[in-house]
Amino acid sequence: MADVLIADDSEFMRNLLREILEEDHNIVGEVENGVEAVEVFKEEQPDLVMMDIVMPIRDGIEATDEIKNTAPEANVIMCTSVGQEEKMKEAVKAGADGYITKPFQKPSVMEAIQDVVPS
Amino acid sequence: MKIDVQSLGTFNQLAHEGAEQATRSMAQMTGIDAEVDVTKISLVDRADIGEELGDSEFVGVQFEFEGALSGDTVLVFDRDSTDEIVNALMPGAAEDPSMAQSSVEEIGNIMMSGFIDGWADYLGAGIEHTPPEYIERSGADVLPEAPDTGETDQVFVFRSEIEWLDQSVNFFIYMLPEYEPMTEMMSEHAAAGDDAIPIEKLEAFNRMTRKGTEKAAENVEMMAGIETEAEVSQISFAPIEDVPKQVGNDTYVGTVVEFTGAPSGYLLVLFDETSAINVAEALMPMETDGDGLTDQHKAAIEELGNIMTSGFVDGWANVLQQTVEHTPPRLVHDMGRAIIDPLAAQLGQHQQHAFIIDSKMKTDEVAFESTIHALPNEEELREALDELLVERAEETEADAEQIF
Amino acid sequence: MKVYDGSSQTEQTQDADPERIKVGIAEYEVTTDGAVLTTSGLGSCIGIALYDTETGTAGLVHVMLPSADEVEDGNAAKFADTGTELLVEEMSEAGADPNSIEAKIAGGSDMLDFSESGSGIGDRNVSQVRETLEEYGIPIVGEDVGGDHGRSLRLESNTGDLVVKSANTDNTRL
Repeated sequence: MADVLIADDSEFMRNLLREILEEDHNIVGEVENGVEAVEVFKEEQPDLVMMDIVMPIRDGIEATDEIKNTAPEANVIMCTSVGQEEKMKEAVKAGADGYITKPFQKPSVMEAIQDVVPS
Repeated sequence: MKIDVQSLGTFNQLAHEGAEQATRSMAQMTGIDAEVDVTKISLVDRADIGEELGDSEFVGVQFEFEGALSGDTVLVFDRDSTDEIVNALMPGAAEDPSMAQSSVEEIGNIMMSGFIDGWADYLGAGIEHTPPEYIERSGADVLPEAPDTGETDQVFVFRSEIEWLDQSVNFFIYMLPEYEPMTEMMSEHAAAGDDAIPIEKLEAFNRMTRKGTEKAAENVEMMAGIETEAEVSQISFAPIEDVPKQVGNDTYVGTVVEFTGAPSGYLLVLFDETSAINVAEALMPMETDGDGLTDQHKAAIEELGNIMTSGFVDGWANVLQQTVEHTPPRLVHDMGRAIIDPLAAQLGQHQQHAFIIDSKMKTDEVAFESTIHALPNEEELREALDELLVERAEETEADAEQIF
Repeated sequence: MKVYDGSSQTEQTQDADPERIKVGIAEYEVTTDGAVLTTSGLGSCIGIALYDTETGTAGLVHVMLPSADEVEDGNAAKFADTGTELLVEEMSEAGADPNSIEAKIAGGSDMLDFSESGSGIGDRNVSQVRETLEEYGIPIVGEDVGGDHGRSLRLESNTGDLVVKSANTDNTRL
């Protein structure tokens, strides 16, 4: 059971992710933008962050970059509707460990998490 | 072959003035006051032409024209409004089918002469047309078969919508010029400057849009479990003040984003209220509290709009090998035209005409229909098209697994 | 050839109602015979309704952008400054006295304004209309501007009443 932080500006998507994840994992926080994601990450030190890209105030790639700079061992999976190759490369550069495109099916989320934080 | 914005503007104006002339002719003959609501030029897949006519019954006339410009043109009235027009022309004529038909032919003949003459005058060359052929069909079948396009499956269509004041009845003028003479004429009129757009790039862009629409439809299907089909995708050109008329005046629910990159602009995903409720309920795992469109429905629509937006613009980014950023979606629930008017105004600060990219998807399972409208900055779209490699136009999808 | 026989009875009844004239975006209409002028779907656009209390001449213009100075465009009715001027001139032409004209304005919402700096188009449209009307000394006797929703307008030119509809609230009569 991993400690997971969910960062997504959509309430609908946070609910959906929570329902998928809470069976096997411990949700330590749900935030709506990149600034909050960094803050809560520092407080909670979760095993995994599920990170949206397009969010207000600060986007998920910048937030991932900062999290990875302060804690290289952190695990971040981008979970986004953006399916642009250049964005995926930016995410790799920021240090993201995985990339899930929305809309997703439950098994693909489980699989991506299993790859990054094996149970 | 190239086309430039200036000549697109001129052609649009010609078609609009032609439709106005036709409408004046009708007013003189019948006393019916009508006004040309909107005229636009679209580059559209030949299979999608006339999709907006739905299943309604139409009556009208069709002509072939030939000369400086060749092709087919039709004038069609809503079946239900024909009697009134016919009676206004000749009282009692609607009672007698052959008289009614002859009246429609005559009125069509006079209206369409007005429509064609403006083109001939502008081109300084004659355009002949055949005698009117009376037609009576439903939906898109009322339109002539799209001209043969050779290599490409896309055609230019001129479309005017004429509104009969005081009545909720519209009629339409469609002109489908033959592809070669039309594109040649466009090329001849294009300025020799840098801003001319090769027509094959516009067509490639249209194919990208079609794929983007299919992707957005797939996303809806995957999220909501509703089998959804991409219906139309086209790129149109119209004066900026006609942009809001692309959307109806009913109340819509949806999302709007500003996108930046190659190009920048605005993108709207709209649902009529019934479709919004239907699709939101299909998305939500639980029952909602309350009637009508609740906050829960809106939250679901907001995320669906976000995902559809990405599905639509990601293809552009991947083909152009660049990024297109967009703002988080803003949820809207308002009169259709009021939603799009601030966006047109923002573009209108820098341009007189706009390209409008329209897509539509629907499903037969439940009442569900959604439209996507993109309003790119004209100059940036031209630059993006300039960069576009036609042979990459199919490379709309990126594979995360190859990168991670 | 408009003929009223038995079958067009309904049309005659309709004619008893005031004529309804639609005003599109970047268009204007002036009436001296009590017609109802309507315009729909105003977002950041603004509708300027002028009414001459003495002669009953009424006019409505639907403008889109603040100032004609900013864009090269021949259509005066597209801009708040030139559109207001045009409407005042056309009404005078139709017999109105600028000294007895009153204005009612609606629209200029700030919905969907993505501009990050400065005020949005809706705000600027409203300011420009106020400024131009002031130059003519025309008082604004009613207004429903700003906010974040769309509006549709109906100017009843036999009374000068301007009815404002929005998608989610009740009608307002100015």
